[in-house]
Amino acid sequence: MDITPYPVNDFGPVMKGMVIGGLGIVHVFLAQFAIGGGMLMCYFQWLAQSGRLPLARRFTDGFFQFLVLVSFVLGAVTGVGMWFTSIQVSPRTIGVMVHEFHWLWATEWTFFALEIAAGYSFYRCGRRLPDSARMTLLVLYSVAAWFSLFWINGILSWQLTPGEFHRTRSVWDGFFNPSFFPSLLFRTITSLTIAALAACLVVNLMPDLDREQRRSLLHRAFHFLAPMAAMPLLAVWYFLTLPDDSREWVLGGSVAMTLFFALGAACSLLIGAYALAGLMIRRLYMNAATSALLVALALLATAGGEFVREGVRKPYTIREYLYSNSISEAEVARLREIGCTSLDPYPVLHAAQYPHPQLVLGAQVFRIQCSVCHTVDGANGLVHLAGHWTPTQLRMNIAKLQRTKPFMPPFAGTPRELEALVQWIRWQRQGRPRDWTPDVAEPPLEQIAAWLEEAGTRPGLELTRTAEEGG
Amino acid sequence: MHAAFPFGYPLPTAFYLSLYVLTLVVHVVCMNYVLAGSAYLAVVRWRKGGAAHDDPAAALLADWLPLMLSVAITAGIAPLLFVQILYRPQFYTANLLLFHRWMAVLPVLIAGFYLLYLIRQPATLARWPRLECLATAAVFGGFAFIGWSWTENHLLSLQSPAVWTAEFARAGWLFFTPELLPRLTTWLCGSFPALALWLLWQLRWTRPSAGAEDGERLVRTQRCLARLALVMLGLALLSAFVYSRWLPAEDREVFWSPLTWPWLGAALAGAAMQAVSYQQMLARGQFRGNWLMLATSGVLLTTLGTAVVRESLRLARVNLSSLLPQHEAAFAVGGLGVFVLFLVLNTALIVWCLRLTRRRR
Repeated sequence: MDITPYPVNDFGPVMKGMVIGGLGIVHVFLAQFAIGGGMLMCYFQWLAQSGRLPLARRFTDGFFQFLVLVSFVLGAVTGVGMWFTSIQVSPRTIGVMVHEFHWLWATEWTFFALEIAAGYSFYRCGRRLPDSARMTLLVLYSVAAWFSLFWINGILSWQLTPGEFHRTRSVWDGFFNPSFFPSLLFRTITSLTIAALAACLVVNLMPDLDREQRRSLLHRAFHFLAPMAAMPLLAVWYFLTLPDDSREWVLGGSVAMTLFFALGAACSLLIGAYALAGLMIRRLYMNAATSALLVALALLATAGGEFVREGVRKPYTIREYLYSNSISEAEVARLREIGCTSLDPYPVLHAAQYPHPQLVLGAQVFRIQCSVCHTVDGANGLVHLAGHWTPTQLRMNIAKLQRTKPFMPPFAGTPRELEALVQWIRWQRQGRPRDWTPDVAEPPLEQIAAWLEEAGTRPGLELTRTAEEGG
Repeated sequence: MHAAFPFGYPLPTAFYLSLYVLTLVVHVVCMNYVLAGSAYLAVVRWRKGGAAHDDPAAALLADWLPLMLSVAITAGIAPLLFVQILYRPQFYTANLLLFHRWMAVLPVLIAGFYLLYLIRQPATLARWPRLECLATAAVFGGFAFIGWSWTENHLLSLQSPAVWTAEFARAGWLFFTPELLPRLTTWLCGSFPALALWLLWQLRWTRPSAGAEDGERLVRTQRCLARLALVMLGLALLSAFVYSRWLPAEDREVFWSPLTWPWLGAALAGAAMQAVSYQQMLARGQFRGNWLMLATSGVLLTTLGTAVVRESLRLARVNLSSLLPQHEAAFAVGGLGVFVLFLVLNTALIVWCLRLTRRRR
């Protein structure tokens, strides 16, 4: 067993998932805008050079400035930011991902470099280049951007559906996992949609265009909304590749998951309906305000989708290998013997403020096992979730955590550590009083050990399934 | 270590170390343009009270800095990947200990990026020359902050677990060691010779509008850049020497060890090549391609040598034996062939892109 102890930072009332989720949503949105934007510009360049819409050339140059300013700057830096934030939130998870897929990540980097080279070549010289060279640069840019998605999509989808990877240890079994293709196609269409909506906004912001010119450009951009028709089918395909329990979270098992899924679906539906009814059929004119609103809806849809994608992995961060608190299945049993705090060299900050040594231990257990998803009393706060339970309830529910809530990992510590966590939750619930004593002089460690033994170390979703199968 | 870098290590470790150092060199050469370039631009604009149209080098910098920042960031991703393979516990721990202070590099980088685009548009701030000066100074300040943060992060990653624990208990966002200042000074001074070389090549290849008709102005700028490179090269060497004397005894031993000599020698040889070429260019008043090529080889050699010496110091400090199994396991992971294939293919496509930009309508 090799558990590298890392220092764990306190994000205060903010859930760590909110930080990485927030940055991730912005990054994904911008990255998909860059991918779709490249394809859109290829189309507009073709329209211009084939004489179908000469005005498209001017749009392409204007749109590319916009793309560079938004995507090359914010997109690129938030991409690096994702790595740094992942390290802050779960160093072990990102460490495993880098370890297992570093050559694919390096391959993605070569495509990113090509994307930057082709993009900046067009940005700096596009206006004076002949059409063939412009088209070549745009095609190279688009292909490189799409392949960036291709490589990253494989690594991200592996976290949720590792397929045969854990048995064969083959990088390709992990990469071409069950949700790889539906996810890739879905994201590709999302990219086209975002690019089309952003193009509508840019068309409205371009100076010196009359309404008819804007209409002709908008109408062409709308073509990129048409593939949205395939989204429901792809979504169904994606859902079918998900593990049963993950699908259950979305379809009512976890109300937060269901709501975010509904939000994403509703926003996509609204955009799709507007595209189909309002634009494809009636050819309505879309002004800047409507365009901005639809871009905002697309961002919300992305947010809903990304939240669901992250959430349905629970109780894992890497399915069948690493629980959300960065403890592997195999390590749970060992940590129940030696204690999760025994390997942690980092002290509890402000330990002198705790009125009892047991509370210091409890704070350390919270930091190691709970703080990646929970705060003390902020977002998803432990005090709000479990503070009103009786001490016995707390002991049993935490000891059988994966049975209490199947999207929780099993408790990975000794009975003494569990009891310390129970007392720490009670103390927090009581407003952190200065004078405080545990509720019992002799904690029922044997009973806790029995509950831990009863719950086992396997994930709750598996225990539930086994019980159901056994009748 | 019983042989000169990278031969004294098991194959997987040596392989990743070599990749890390080579990709770091590419990043550093590009990063030098951004760091020293923003400093140069800030000083020139401050002295001239706004846009310095009569300085061809400043005009080039204002135009090229946004692109070069993109290139530097892109080039920085590869060493960032390999450092996670080589020194994962050390790198992650340092990141976590610096926390908000470390994460601040991201908004600073974004702000610097957008300020560069703002500066690039001459009309944007033309009415407020002082604001333009401030914006340029802020860009340099931001990049200097990022450089400082990286150095601080690196030095913290070299500490023992006991120091990490103490730092965590202290809950401070700054980590200061006596090495920090001489190390930063060496990096900063060393970035100017590379910048001067970039600009001399650019002045040779492009015909900047500000200096095209005025040959005398162009030569004056070239001479100024050559002198700047010589002075900063001297200061970088001096700073590196001071740094080596300030190092703890065991690190000093590594620095001056016979196993480090080949790379230290390479760095010094590179510095000598640069000095000779600049001296010759100044003496002859001509900035010919052959002398620039010699200086380019010198910059690459110095950067490579310095990167290896930096790595040797790190290798002496970390508990390498605990990392070797991770390197071995990473070496067994598949995908290398695909990487090599696309590295070659995409490099060729990048070259093609650059060639396409020469075409005219």
